Amino acid sequence: MIDPKLASAAETFTLQCVINKRPVSVDVPPAKRLLCILREDLHLTGTKRSCDIGRCGACMVLVDGKPVNSCLTMAYQCQGKNITTIEGLAADGALNRVQKCFLEEGGYQCGYCTPGMIVTVTALLNKNPEPSMAEIEEALSGNLCRCTGYGGIIRSVLKAAEQGGRRHAGRHESA
Amino acid sequence: MPLNRTTSGDRWRVRPDGPDKVTGRLPYLTDLSLPGMLHGRVLRSPYPHARIVSIRTEKAKAIPGVCAVLTSADVPGLNRFGIARPDQPVFCEDRVRFIGDAVAAVAAETEALAAYALTQIEVDYEPLPVVDDPESALSPDSVKLFEHGNVLHRSDYGCGDVEAGFAACRHIVEETYSTPRQMHTYMETEGGLFVPEPNGRLTVYAPTQHGFMDRMQLARILNRPEADIRVVSSPIGGSFGGKDELNVQPYGALLALACGRPVKLHNSRWESVRAGLKRHPMKITMKTGTDEHGRLLAHQVRIVSDAGPYSTLSAEVLNFAVEHVIGPYRFGAVKVESVSVFTNNGMSGEFRGFGGNQAIFALEGQMDRLAEKLGIDPWTFRLMNMRQPGDPGPLGQPIAQTDGARQVWEALADCRLWKEKAAAGNRSETRPPWIKTGYGAALVMHGAGLGVGIPDPAGGRLTLAGDGKIEAAFGYEEFGQGLIASLEQMLIEQFGFDAQDLRIVIGDTDAVPDSGSSTASRATSMMWQALKRLHPPFATALRKQASRALGVGMEKLVLGRGGIRDAESGSLLISYGELAKTASEPIVAETKFAYPTSPVDRVGAHYLYTYASVAVKVEVNTLTGRVKLLDQFHAVAAGPVVNPQGYLGQIEGGSGMALGFALTEDAVMDKGMYLTRNLDTYLIPTIAELSGGFEVLPIEELPEGDKHGPRGVGEIGSVGLAPAIAAAVHDAVGKRVNKLPIDPALLLEKPVFLNKAVEWR
Ligand code: FES
Ligand code: FES
Repeated sequence: MIDPKLASAAETFTLQCVINKRPVSVDVPPAKRLLCILREDLHLTGTKRSCDIGRCGACMVLVDGKPVNSCLTMAYQCQGKNITTIEGLAADGALNRVQKCFLEEGGYQCGYCTPGMIVTVTALLNKNPEPSMAEIEEALSGNLCRCTGYGGIIRSVLKAAEQGGRRHAGRHESA
Repeated sequence: MPLNRTTSGDRWRVRPDGPDKVTGRLPYLTDLSLPGMLHGRVLRSPYPHARIVSIRTEKAKAIPGVCAVLTSADVPGLNRFGIARPDQPVFCEDRVRFIGDAVAAVAAETEALAAYALTQIEVDYEPLPVVDDPESALSPDSVKLFEHGNVLHRSDYGCGDVEAGFAACRHIVEETYSTPRQMHTYMETEGGLFVPEPNGRLTVYAPTQHGFMDRMQLARILNRPEADIRVVSSPIGGSFGGKDELNVQPYGALLALACGRPVKLHNSRWESVRAGLKRHPMKITMKTGTDEHGRLLAHQVRIVSDAGPYSTLSAEVLNFAVEHVIGPYRFGAVKVESVSVFTNNGMSGEFRGFGGNQAIFALEGQMDRLAEKLGIDPWTFRLMNMRQPGDPGPLGQPIAQTDGARQVWEALADCRLWKEKAAAGNRSETRPPWIKTGYGAALVMHGAGLGVGIPDPAGGRLTLAGDGKIEAAFGYEEFGQGLIASLEQMLIEQFGFDAQDLRIVIGDTDAVPDSGSSTASRATSMMWQALKRLHPPFATALRKQASRALGVGMEKLVLGRGGIRDAESGSLLISYGELAKTASEPIVAETKFAYPTSPVDRVGAHYLYTYASVAVKVEVNTLTGRVKLLDQFHAVAAGPVVNPQGYLGQIEGGSGMALGFALTEDAVMDKGMYLTRNLDTYLIPTIAELSGGFEVLPIEELPEGDKHGPRGVGEIGSVGLAPAIAAAVHDAVGKRVNKLPIDPALLLEKPVFLNKAVEWR
């Protein structure tokens, strides 16, 4: 259990990084989790909290372009890094391709998993514009959704991949 | 026609709440914060059953930065909550009955400080024997959770003479089915912000499925008038029944009022697991028999349901299960006995499907077993025994007649997957010998609405507001199902409005009429009914006002996009904005009615039903015992499709939950303690388990003259998949499943090549 005296005595440091293309400088304890820094210090609440242990993907952000669970990332690990949250994907208010496809295909219901999901899919398609179904499964297996049964999500991802120039074989159909 | 974006054409619309959801802009109630707010935490019992000897809060109170430490002594009103029967303590006084029971709560300047303060509250407990098995809890010498014993509720039903029925049977199947303690696992855990307002009122920002019910319960706890409380309850990051009952609200409200400052609570996942509701684990024993032709003559059922320590809606869930273990079949005689039992296990409560999931898993299991005994195709066997048009409902009650059961039966017999099954018999499989495939199907008849004897109000309001917006106000909640989208779509399609003309107001007790709960697959049906009632008076009022303003006869005017239009040419004559300015007061139409019920004296009996059939193809790996779902087909007879995207999403999402129920999900308890605390050991399906084929066929046609319109589809998708998977597993490997989730150990087989090796030696 956290001893408050120790907690308040814990030294803070100045975290300097880039978040959503803007330089950020904030005094935090080095072990503070990125998820909390985003939500509490910077009021970027698009990044969601659900399991706190790296199992659900609701807190997914990009750190130097790679999808990372922000609940498992500590402040000191972010020093000098380039971080993108869901708020940073729609540059100047225009939705990115993945966001547009989620919107049109209905890749969300309650929407709580959606920011993390869209961040992961964006990273996947950046790295691999033509993912196979197996690659999609692997990339998204750390993003849980309780509402959609993933149907709308799969359609959104396939659509986004297709708009990236590739006709997709689609979800597994039984022979 | 299968339901998808293409077949839906223009009716497939972008949801109004979509843009804010895909950008992360939508503030959920657990995202809210205010300057100067405090953080709340609840101290919960470390024991599943214990007497509280003493509670000392002085140390915790003395910590600088701790603003309040509350116990039962600080509750001004009723120290209890519970929708149907308030018997759950807000704070336990002298006894804790489960691992989630609350004993105290604190508010402090930071979360860390609040967590620390909990450790400084001193509680002396005297552990009591733990009652963790509902069966033994019923024995007269069991330790009792309450003075009145461990029985929460009994519900029996009988019709005809089952003994005589069994005596005449040629084939009888007896089996006991057990189902898991499934967790709702909404991605947003419980939480919210509680704000004491300068005018003395309290604003509660916390998810629930019925804002007015929370307001009533909070008023009772806080001992203040309901009018002094405002409950803002949407948007919600998933609920599935799990946030229907109060969760953090009593603590947030009490702390905020005690401190005079806003207080935020947001449960960790472990706290959510520990304190939250689960689906009732049920043990269902069935004895069912037929004559030599396969006619069902007798059906005897006993249900034992583990309610956990307090009531919430356990009695109602049990009543629902009693109705649904009888289901869509004609039996010569029926006898059902059931009991819901208090234990020191976790809280059970309302969960999508509401007891139907457990009941239908058992009932469909019986149908498959009997068909096998008779050597009749299981799907044909169901048709032979199906209720016929004009038949009463499962409890002998009059129901709104549809041909749903037969429609979904035929749709399944005719679907691609079922034809593939027929063809598969004579095709040689190219898979390794330890991979076995199988097909299975299930039939579902699922009640909607709260049923006879339970207040089930509905209603809504349409207003031409001063700013020219058509305001639609309903007391329903958006937890992801697409309620706002469905309401918008109905207003556009039924009234001719444009999306831009509309302002939809929900989830705020200060701003909406009480439309009843967003549960029991009822909200969309009730909005449809309300709009049907509101259409004539509201349209007439708008046209009358326009006629006055324009000096044109009413008969020449129609409602349209953007404003009142010329009935013939369709050209815009006056915008709603201009029209509003000409009116001296807002033009309002309001309606109040109740969910239709059966004229019968049987609490909980339903009047409206949705029907579904589910076919699946699975693959069983006999080396690992794992089952993989490859393909699924759902036919749903629920009347007109209000919102294609929402409808499809409900069936896909419900089915995804059912896959977890069938294969992996169980919040395992040992002596009243949860063995699983988070999503690393509680496994809900991932995308990898749900990437197989999926087809939904909605059957929209209703009998001529049907007045009830769309039936609910919120729950039915979550019901039929598990029994269909059980049937498919049997088809694949010849083993019958009677317990969910399916234990891989049951399906493991000694690999054939080992046999060979042994033989070779
Ligand atoms: S909150 Fe970070 S993975 Fe779940
Ligand atoms: S949309 Fe609700 S959890 Fe994914």
